[in-house]
Amino acid sequence: MKAVGARLPRYDGVGHVTGQTQFVDDVRVREMLWAKALRSPHHHAAITRMDTSKAEAMPGVEAVITHADVPLLEYGHLSALGIPADEPLLAKDEVRYKGQPIALVAAEDADTARAGVEAIEIDYEERPTLFDVRKAFDDDAPTVHRWGNWYPHFEGEMDRRQIRKGNIEEAFEAADTIVSGVYRPAAIEHAPLETQVSMVVPEPDGRLTVYSCTQALYFSLGVMAAHLQVPLNRLKVVGGTVGGGFGGKVDTASETVTALAAMKANRPVKWRWTREEEFLASSTRAPWHMEIIDAVTSDGWILGRKMLTLHDSGAYARFSPYGLTKHSFHHTGAYTIPNLHFDGYVVFTNRVPTTAMRGFGVTSVSFATETHMSRIADVLGLDPFEVRLKNANRINDTSPNMITYPDPSTVDVVLSIAEATDHSLDDAYMSMSRAQRSGDMLPEHLAAQIGEGHEHASLHALVHGVDNDSEGN
Amino acid sequence: MAVHRGRGVAAIEYPTGMNQNGDPSQAWIKVKPDGRVDVFSGTADIGNGAKTIQSQIVAETIGVPYDWVTFDNSNTDSSPVCTGTFASRATFVAGKAVLKAAEEVRHKLLEIAGLEMEASADDLEVVDGEVMVKGSPTEKLSVADVAGAATYGHGQLITGTGAQLKPYAEILDPETGVVSSPPHSAISYAACAAEVEVDDETGNVRVLKLIQAYDVGKAINPALVEGQIQGGAIMGLGLAVLENAYPYYPSVEHRGYGFGSYYSPGMEDLPELETIIIENPSADGPYGAKGIGEMANNAQPAAIAAAVHDAAGVWITELPITPELVLKALEAKAEPRREGKLVAFDDEISVNTVGAGISWMP
Amino acid sequence: MNITLNGVSRQISSPPLTPLLRVLRNELNVVSAKAGCEAGGCGACTVLVDGRPQRSCLTAVGSLNGAAVTTLEGLGTSENLSAVQQAFVHHYAAQCGFCTPGMVVAATAYLDAGGSDDKEAIQEALGGHVCRCTGYLKIVNAIAAAATQSEFDLTITAEEPNVVVKTGGR
Repeated sequence: MKAVGARLPRYDGVGHVTGQTQFVDDVRVREMLWAKALRSPHHHAAITRMDTSKAEAMPGVEAVITHADVPLLEYGHLSALGIPADEPLLAKDEVRYKGQPIALVAAEDADTARAGVEAIEIDYEERPTLFDVRKAFDDDAPTVHRWGNWYPHFEGEMDRRQIRKGNIEEAFEAADTIVSGVYRPAAIEHAPLETQVSMVVPEPDGRLTVYSCTQALYFSLGVMAAHLQVPLNRLKVVGGTVGGGFGGKVDTASETVTALAAMKANRPVKWRWTREEEFLASSTRAPWHMEIIDAVTSDGWILGRKMLTLHDSGAYARFSPYGLTKHSFHHTGAYTIPNLHFDGYVVFTNRVPTTAMRGFGVTSVSFATETHMSRIADVLGLDPFEVRLKNANRINDTSPNMITYPDPSTVDVVLSIAEATDHSLDDAYMSMSRAQRSGDMLPEHLAAQIGEGHEHASLHALVHGVDNDSEGN
Repeated sequence: MAVHRGRGVAAIEYPTGMNQNGDPSQAWIKVKPDGRVDVFSGTADIGNGAKTIQSQIVAETIGVPYDWVTFDNSNTDSSPVCTGTFASRATFVAGKAVLKAAEEVRHKLLEIAGLEMEASADDLEVVDGEVMVKGSPTEKLSVADVAGAATYGHGQLITGTGAQLKPYAEILDPETGVVSSPPHSAISYAACAAEVEVDDETGNVRVLKLIQAYDVGKAINPALVEGQIQGGAIMGLGLAVLENAYPYYPSVEHRGYGFGSYYSPGMEDLPELETIIIENPSADGPYGAKGIGEMANNAQPAAIAAAVHDAAGVWITELPITPELVLKALEAKAEPRREGKLVAFDDEISVNTVGAGISWMP
Repeated sequence: MNITLNGVSRQISSPPLTPLLRVLRNELNVVSAKAGCEAGGCGACTVLVDGRPQRSCLTAVGSLNGAAVTTLEGLGTSENLSAVQQAFVHHYAAQCGFCTPGMVVAATAYLDAGGSDDKEAIQEALGGHVCRCTGYLKIVNAIAAAATQSEFDLTITAEEPNVVVKTGGR
C-alpha cells in the first residue's frame, strides 16, 4: 500500500492515548535536585548588591548559580545571521524586564529551593520604564537598551529594515484614492500544555545528558555549548517529544542554567517552570504596530504601498530582527504591488522579550494587510473577492525583494472560498488562473515589471483597470 | 439591541523553511538484517507529526510497509543535525533529508538484490517489502531476505544518509531589501471565510463558521494536514477575539497568570469548520509537499475583523476584538478622515497622534 | 493511609495535604497525569476518583483514604486499548499528547455516566480541558464515535466530513 497520501495513524498515537509517551517531566532518575529561579520583581532596575551566601549555606541547597558561574554570559543565538548578542543568560548588574532570571537554586526538594531563592539578598535601584513602542522614538523617552530604543544592526548597520521597490511617489500621484489604516495585534502566549522544562544529568564520563523540551535539539545543543564553552560532544541533548511548542521552545530557556547547577552540585537537576512562570516570564508572540498607506485606483488596483512597522521586541533582541525581516519580505501578502516603501523597526521595551510564534513575523502582517484589503474594497464599493483576484500574485510576478513567484496559488484559494461560500462572481473572475499576467489584463504599472513586450499597455488600463473582454487569460 | 451576522474573507501566503534559508537538516537510515528500517532524524515532534510524516516518506521511498519503520529523533548522539521544528520546515526541509537518505537505502538494497537475483539493479523495484523484477512480479525476493543476505552473505550494511540545505539568501542591498536568491523553499497559500455574530448589546463576537482553503502541495497524511488546519484555525480565532498577554497594552498590568485569567480558546469556542485541501505540488518538496503548519493561524483574524465590520459596521483593527472594543466602536461610530483623495482610518492610534518621533503622514 | 490505584492497594506516605498529582508522580511514579498548570485550569491531570473525574492537582491526598483512583494507565494498555483510546487513535485526536491523558479520562467518565454522541453535550462535559494543538474538533469527533462504537480500525484514521481534497492548481 502507498504510504504517502494515506491516512496512516500517528506514529506515537498509541503512546499518547495510553500515557506511555515520555515527556521530560516523566523521566525518572535517582538523586535528582529541584531548581527554582530568582526572577526580577521590577520591569527595569539596576542590581546594586547581591549576596547568595545565606542561600548557599541552607541545609538542602546544593547549588546556587548566578551570572558569575556562566563561562560566556552573552551569546548571540542568531550570530550566524549577523545578529549580535545582547542578553545575559542570568542578569548581572541590570534587569530589563519583570521575571528576568537572576539566579537559580538547586535543592533536595522544590520547597527548599524556593526557600533558598528567598534567602538570596539583593538590592535594586529602579529605573524608568518604556512600554509603548510609539513613544520609543520621542526625545524624552527613557533609554531601555544599551543599543538605544531600537535595534541598530541590520545589514549595513542600518537601524531599520527597508524595502524599496518601483517608484512610490508616482504611484501615489497616479492613485485615485489613498487609504490609510493602523493595525495592532496583541501579544500572545504560546501556552503549550507542557511548561518550559529541562533536566540535566552529569554522567560518569564527564558528559552531561540534557533532557529538554526544545523544538530544536541541535540549536539548543549549539547555544548550550557556546554558553558553557565546551565542544559539542560534551553534551547529549535528549528530547524530540515535546508537549506543544508553537515557537516558544525554540528559545533555549532553561537548559543551560540547569546544566550549570548540575555541574556545580554534581547531581541531576530538574528545572520545570510553573504555569505562572510560563505566563509571566516566558517569551510571547510580539505585539506589533503597523501603519499601511495604499495608493489605489477606483477600480481596485493597488499601485503602491507605504508601510511602517514597529515590532515590540521586549527587553532583548532574541529572534526579533529575523522576524521583522521575514515580515518585510511578506508585506504585500498574496498580492503583487509594484511600488513599495517599507520601514520596519525592532523596538525595545521593558516587556518580556518576544520571540518566534506560529507564523512568526507574518501573522501580524497577514492580519494588517488583509484587513486593509477589505477596507479598500469597502471604501471603493467593490467586491472584496474581486479586489483580491485582481491583485493576486501571478506566475513571474515579483515579490517585495524582487524574487519571481514561480507558482503562486492566490487565485486558487480565493476562488475555492468563493465557490464554497456561494459567492457569485462574474465569469471574468471565475475563469482567472495563476497564469503569467498578459499585457492585455494589466494596467501599465504592472506591465512594467514583467518587462519586454508589455511596455505599451495602455494608460487607460492604469486608470480604468482591466478590460473585461480580455481579463483572465 | 440585536445580534448581527456578518461574513468576511482573507487570503494569505507563507514561506516554507527558515527565512533566508541556511538551515540544514540531515538524516541517516540503517536496515536491520530482517529488512526493518531505522530512521535517525533530529527533528523534534511538537505535535506536528514529524515522526509520522518522516516515517511515511521513508516507507514510501524505500517501498516497505509503514510499520517496518522505526523513527528515532530522541537525541543528538545518534541523530545528525536538524535545525529544528519551526518555520514550517519539518516536512519540507527535514522531510527532504530523510527522503534522500531513503533513496540511498533503496539504491543499495537493489544492488544487493541484483546480486542475489542475478539481475541488474536498474531492472528491479521495491513494492510493499518485496524486491521484484520490473514487469515480472513473480520474480521476487523479500526485502528481509535481501537485508539478511547483505549482512550475512555480502558483509555489507545497507544504510543511507541525506542532507538538505538551501544556501543562505543574502540581502544584497539593505536600502531596497533585494536578495541574492529566493529566501524560502516554497510558498504556500490559503484563504479563509469567517461567519460571525456580533451582539450589539454585550459587544460579544461569536465565530460561527470558518471555511478555509489551503494549497498544501501534497497532503502526505491528510489527517495530519487537517489537524494543522483545524488547530491553527482555533489559534487564529483566539488571536482574533480572545487572547492577549497584556490586556491593557501597552500597560503591563493585569497579566493573566493561568488558564483562568488568560483567555485561550476552549472547547466551547469551537466553530463549524469546513476545509478545502488543494494539492498543487511544489517543485522540490518531498512528494510535492509544502509547509502549512505555521500559516494555519494567519488568515482567520483578518477574515473575522472583516466579518465583524460586515455585521456591525465598525472596523476594529486592534486584536483581540473584545466586547469592550466593539461597544466603544459602536458608540463612537467613527468615520475615516477624508481629505482630497485620502481616506484615513485609525488616526487616534497612529504614531502621529501618539507621538513616536517619526513623521508618518500620507 | 491507603488508596486503591488502578485496582491495586497502595500505601501513601506523603503528608495529607499533598496534592494527589504529586503523590502519583513523585511518590508512586505513575506519570500519565500531567502537571499542566497545577491550579485546576487545564485538565491535564484529571483522574477518576471512585469513577468521577477530578483534577488531581487540586485534590488533597488525605481526603482519599480508601478511595479508588484510576489514572489513564488503569483504562487500557497498548495491547488492550479501551474504546475511547481506540477512538482517539482512529480520529487523530492527539497531537502533542500532553493534554490527552486528561481528555481520555474525562471522556471515559462522560461516557460511563451515559453521555451520548451529542457534540454540544461533549463540549459541555469537557469544558475546561485545554488543548492547544488540535482545535478540539477531532477530540469531539472521537468521543462522539466512542459513544456508539466499541471497536475502531487502528491502521487508518477516520475520514472527516466537511473536508474536500482538490488535486492540481488553476
